[in-house]
Amino acid sequence: GARDDLSQFTKGLTGLDGTFTQQVYDAGGKLKETSTGQVQLSVPHLFRWEYVKPYPQLIVADGKKVWIFDPDLEQVTVRNQGAEEQSSPLSALFEPAKLDQRFVVKETGKADGLDWLSLAPKTDEEASFRTARLGFAGAKLVRMEVEDAVGQRTRIEFAQWKRNPDFAASTFRYTPPKGVDVIGER
Amino acid sequence: CAGAPLRPAISAADVAAAEASQVHRESALARTPDWSMAGRVAVSNAGKGGSGRIEWRQDGPRYLITLSAPVTRQGWQLSGDADAARLEGLEGGPRSGPDARLLLLVATGWDIPVVALGDWVRGARATALAPATIEYGTDGLPRRIDQDGWTIEYRWAPDAAVDGETALPIRVDAIRGEARVKLIVDEWHAETPPGATRVQ
Repeated sequence: GARDDLSQFTKGLTGLDGTFTQQVYDAGGKLKETSTGQVQLSVPHLFRWEYVKPYPQLIVADGKKVWIFDPDLEQVTVRNQGAEEQSSPLSALFEPAKLDQRFVVKETGKADGLDWLSLAPKTDEEASFRTARLGFAGAKLVRMEVEDAVGQRTRIEFAQWKRNPDFAASTFRYTPPKGVDVIGER
Repeated sequence: CAGAPLRPAISAADVAAAEASQVHRESALARTPDWSMAGRVAVSNAGKGGSGRIEWRQDGPRYLITLSAPVTRQGWQLSGDADAARLEGLEGGPRSGPDARLLLLVATGWDIPVVALGDWVRGARATALAPATIEYGTDGLPRRIDQDGWTIEYRWAPDAAVDGETALPIRVDAIRGEARVKLIVDEWHAETPPGATRVQ
């Protein structure tokens, strides 16, 4: 089932490099966004999410800070890394052992040819999403779906996973370029 | 941005013409009270702020603003009209109050003049506020509106003037003191698309 898929997928995992396609649906189910890009992560808490299409946006978690760079808006927003990352469904990849501590986890069986694991927040007060589910094929995470507090649904398809790549040191570091507003504590 | 570009002055006659077409454009906008836009926004206010995707739906006086964060697209929504606002999706559960700007400011530290921005974002003066001054560009469209202590700077599509009364901006920056809202418009929809649920 999906639990074994997750433990197999994360066993001996030090890092991942792959591509994503993200589709966002409004509460009425209408598709309102499709974006694509690359994702890199290094266990336990380094993360790089780069939107390429339709607009560039870069998110880097360097272990202490999370940097969000919007080139078209000439703004970098920086905040401390912490609770938000832990309460994100992606934490299943970083800290699988803490999954049951953080979420109500259930195997919900097969659909769309994938084995699914559903995650629900333990308390709805500080949750950043209403429900989330991880879809596995051949013990590989291929899809993540999240429904947020206002009913928006995000579906992310992952592809071309490379396991344990050796990352350049700069992959999970970020320095704001000149001439942009840097907002938040550096 | 690094120094404002040299602003070519426009003649008095051109200003008069621009003012006339602005009045014309504003009455055309008043005739389309239902509109929506989708784009991206970056907000900053005394060192706090954030950015995300924004969708703004207006049905007459009623607005529904959805903001979504990167990656999980965790979103929150601000809805209401000129006298009542509701903010949902943030930690701590839904909040409501008479003033949307105050509600958002208290909950997030973000300063967005919600009601007035509903007019400013379309390049129009806010109706319910003190008089505004407008500086026009060589294309005859507002380059900048000053109103209620806010300065709103505009960028228009290169061929926008050709659209005449239906011209809409592609970039809107609203600044007041330390508060700044930078908005890129990726899509405009003049009428609420048929079949879409009206904003209750």
